[in-house]
Amino acid sequence: MDKLYVNEIRPDGDVSTVGLFYSRAEAENIVSQLLKVPGRDGSRYEIIEAVRHVLLQKESQRAQVEPKE
Amino acid sequence: MADPVLASMVHAMGMETARHYTAATPKVQAYRDSWVKLAPYRDGEVNPQRVAVNDPAQMAQQIKAKAMELGANMVGICRLQPHMIDLGEDVPHDFVIVACVAEDYEKVVHGANAVEEEAMRTYAKCTEIATALATYVRGMGYPARAHHNGASEVQAIPIFYQVGFGELGRHGSLINEKYGASFRPGFVTTDLPLSEDKPREFGVQDFCMNCNVCQLNCPGDAIPQDHVMTHGIKRWLIDLEKCYPYSRLRDEYCHLCVDVCPYNVKSHPETFKAFMKERKQVGYKTPKSW
Repeated sequence: MDKLYVNEIRPDGDVSTVGLFYSRAEAENIVSQLLKVPGRDGSRYEIIEAVRHVLLQKESQRAQVEPKE
Repeated sequence: MADPVLASMVHAMGMETARHYTAATPKVQAYRDSWVKLAPYRDGEVNPQRVAVNDPAQMAQQIKAKAMELGANMVGICRLQPHMIDLGEDVPHDFVIVACVAEDYEKVVHGANAVEEEAMRTYAKCTEIATALATYVRGMGYPARAHHNGASEVQAIPIFYQVGFGELGRHGSLINEKYGASFRPGFVTTDLPLSEDKPREFGVQDFCMNCNVCQLNCPGDAIPQDHVMTHGIKRWLIDLEKCYPYSRLRDEYCHLCVDVCPYNVKSHPETFKAFMKERKQVGYKTPKSW
């Protein structure tokens, strides 16, 4: 099975993980339903393969704990 | 089968349905039948004589007392928000009431069938409570619909969080400080004016960052080390492809991630220690401090 994450990107740039899905069709179906939810129409959605998603998460968590120079 | 992941795995194994659902003991089957039987009564006629609500806080207290009288151990109320409703469903109500029944944790030392029967007993009790509570609210002249295992359009975890029952744990269930994750819910959505409860955090997510007992005890290795973030809340997303072979595709019930959670120790210290000793004996690691 595929492993795909769906992320929600809000207009202010905040990125949130919606969930983990096991086929592109299922992930695309979730996105199309989310776009119909009131209050979420300003958000964009991306579908990312699991391996890439984990790398991006780790990168973002590292950036949060590393001191800024 | 509504779950596409489970449907695909069942199909790949050449089965018609998941073994977990066909291997029920007579008691488990009776509980499952009970919520199917009550499903037609989750909604109904609203009393045309509406009771005036001048004080939503007082009405919330009345509703909570009624739910406790019906057998709930915890009751919470919040405004019904879009993310609490199943995608594609419409629930035209302003509030949601959640009534939970605690499982008897002592069953963990009696094996998988005892744990399953207890889980189904509490689901059946929650179904009765939600159905009776919705009828009670409609009797006061306000629309109300029960949501339970027999039929539901709401999502449990965001509602639990919003009413202050606790925080999301590494095992994917919400952890309450008194009951751990050993409780089951029934819901009522309604337009009855009610005061709202608030989210309450007491360190669960930080605790789970440093605790991996559920992860170590998961027979399918389905609980991840790393979390994702959803609107500021940490979520450890369970890998269903690894979970289902143990929780859905074999006869025996699997509830281990919830049963080994150290938050059970507060309410059942001796049983928790005895159970964890058993777990260690069968080869699953436990932290040295336990």
